[in-house]
Amino acid sequence: MSQDLDLPTYEDVEEAAGIIKGVANRTPMQTSRFLDSQLGVNVFVKCENFQRTGAFKFRGGYNSLSHLTPKERDQGVITCSSGNHAQGIALSSRLLGMKATIIMPQDAPELKVNATKGYGGNVIFYDRYTESRETIAEDIQAKTGAHFIPPYNDKYVIAGQGTVGKELIEDVIDGGHGPLDYLFVCVGGSGLISGCALAAEKLAPGCKVIGVEPEAGDDAKQSLEKGEIVRIETPQTIADGAQTQRIGDVTFEIMKKKVEKIITVTDEQLVDELRFFGERMKLFVEPTGCLGLAGLRKLVDSGEVPANSNCGVIVSGGNVDVRKYCELLG
Amino acid sequence: MTEGLDLPTYEDVEEAADIIKGVANRTPMQTSRFLDSQLGVNVFIKCENFQRIGAFKFRGAYNYLSHLSSEVKSKGVITYSSGNHATATALAAKKLGIDATIIIPEDAPKIKIEASKEAGGNVVIFDRYTQNREDVAAEIQAKTGAHVFHHHKYVLAGQGTTGKELMEQVTERGHGPLDYLFIAIGSGGLISGCAIVAEKLAPECKVIGVEPEAGNNTQQSLEKGEIVHIETPRTIADGAQTQHIGPTVFEIVKTKVEKVITVTDEQLIDELRFFDEKMKLVVEPTGCLGLAGLRKMVASGEVPPNSKCGVIVSGGNVDMRKYFELIG
Repeated sequence: MSQDLDLPTYEDVEEAAGIIKGVANRTPMQTSRFLDSQLGVNVFVKCENFQRTGAFKFRGGYNSLSHLTPKERDQGVITCSSGNHAQGIALSSRLLGMKATIIMPQDAPELKVNATKGYGGNVIFYDRYTESRETIAEDIQAKTGAHFIPPYNDKYVIAGQGTVGKELIEDVIDGGHGPLDYLFVCVGGSGLISGCALAAEKLAPGCKVIGVEPEAGDDAKQSLEKGEIVRIETPQTIADGAQTQRIGDVTFEIMKKKVEKIITVTDEQLVDELRFFGERMKLFVEPTGCLGLAGLRKLVDSGEVPANSNCGVIVSGGNVDVRKYCELLG
Repeated sequence: MTEGLDLPTYEDVEEAADIIKGVANRTPMQTSRFLDSQLGVNVFIKCENFQRIGAFKFRGAYNYLSHLSSEVKSKGVITYSSGNHATATALAAKKLGIDATIIIPEDAPKIKIEASKEAGGNVVIFDRYTQNREDVAAEIQAKTGAHVFHHHKYVLAGQGTTGKELMEQVTERGHGPLDYLFIAIGSGGLISGCAIVAEKLAPECKVIGVEPEAGNNTQQSLEKGEIVHIETPRTIADGAQTQHIGPTVFEIVKTKVEKVITVTDEQLIDELRFFDEKMKLVVEPTGCLGLAGLRKMVASGEVPPNSKCGVIVSGGNVDMRKYFELIG
């Protein structure tokens, strides 16, 4: 089955790193003495909230658009997303001189709509209860020949996202800490964890890659347990970047082999991390971005992560409406 | 007039840098393409919200306490503070094995009061609108023999390491020396230390102090040519509610700071929102003074396009509830 899939390799991640260099930000890795002493482990936080467009998605978007042929570029790109992927594609297209059409639900948050338009994306709305975004996308593709960029189930998107893990592992080693023992990654569509698992396998072979999903949206966990992709209804959770209904076949193939396990956390646990990041680390993080640290905390509490482990945590982004943030923490 | 003052020098700042190395954080410098294109200048932000105890104050406290003799250390220290210097002293003292009593105003952010206790300080609360903090300190000193300190050249030299690092980081990124450096003014320790550094590392750099409109005692002092004392100002910039600057700070600001401007609380809230939404940084209101000042001077045309502008974000210690009230 996997022979039909175009699976990315670590070399694709290295290539992506070369392509995004100087365009994407090499975001900082931050540590917190308070957190380390609280948990008894060494935590290394990769701050993708500081990435261009405020989330890691820019990397995969830019890498994937960079691989289009000149003819494909002229025809423009199209994607379906109301979130960070939309903004990543909009900005990447602008930087590469391409037209981007983004299909978004009518009720997408104004902040995200405006951000996407602000980056130059051409937004087309659809009614998520009565229309099919796939049909709309296909119609536009038939007319314009635009190339569809999947939000996660694509070799170049995955490879781009993998550069997050690559940079974190490198920075931890450069800091004299030795390789990571664990890497905690949020799972939405699973593009990020797949890419990072490729990087970890190569650069820190002993590292256990742990995926973290919201409790209400544990489709990836169910898929790994069942041995086949499980589809769920759109979950209700504050982690709006992890509301995907199903993972992709490419990402599933990678995760099956390279991800240690997937765990879940509650929305309350995410709110606790939001508060921690804001009060202790002075970082503005979106709820989905808190999945990684919440997962680490859970596995430290359970005793599964031993004391003094080197634990990487990816903060996937910081795009949350300030009003919403205040409601959650207030 | 200056012979009575023990003014810090650039060498004092260099010495401080060595002393705090590996203890204080060498905080990141961050930039924002959005901000640069909005203002038409190049902005370099020194993120002291990521400093130990969440504000630059740790630098000065640690440097100062490191210089005390064992005899003085053994009797303990007393200091007064609106918040960050308190927590900084508490942590620095704990690291150096010194007993510390911290006098903090009752209406200081709870997060700052709690942090000082957590860091190991003995906290004494006073009412900043009816009591005088120097008097409260003197009373305790009479009882315990502890050493009172607030401003001193070693504190100022420690704060100056903030500006030193920023200038080095700007150079490392391949940019030439700063044209401007915008700094919040509370008691003036930060701007004093940084002005000494700027004079040495970027002699053409204009150092601009920024105060809250309601608390412009330094601006008034410069205009009048002598230290002006004001009533405790009401402003959301709780780290800039000082009533007067000291003679050492006044001397340095007079000679090395280009000018002191003011901004409104509304302008500070705008920056809080900017830092949050666009840079994903949690900053305290006082920490927004620098950027608000830059924005004001770009809007007035005084700072020309393409200028290289350093902005120091002094800290990120704000009660979440207060934060939400302000930006929600």
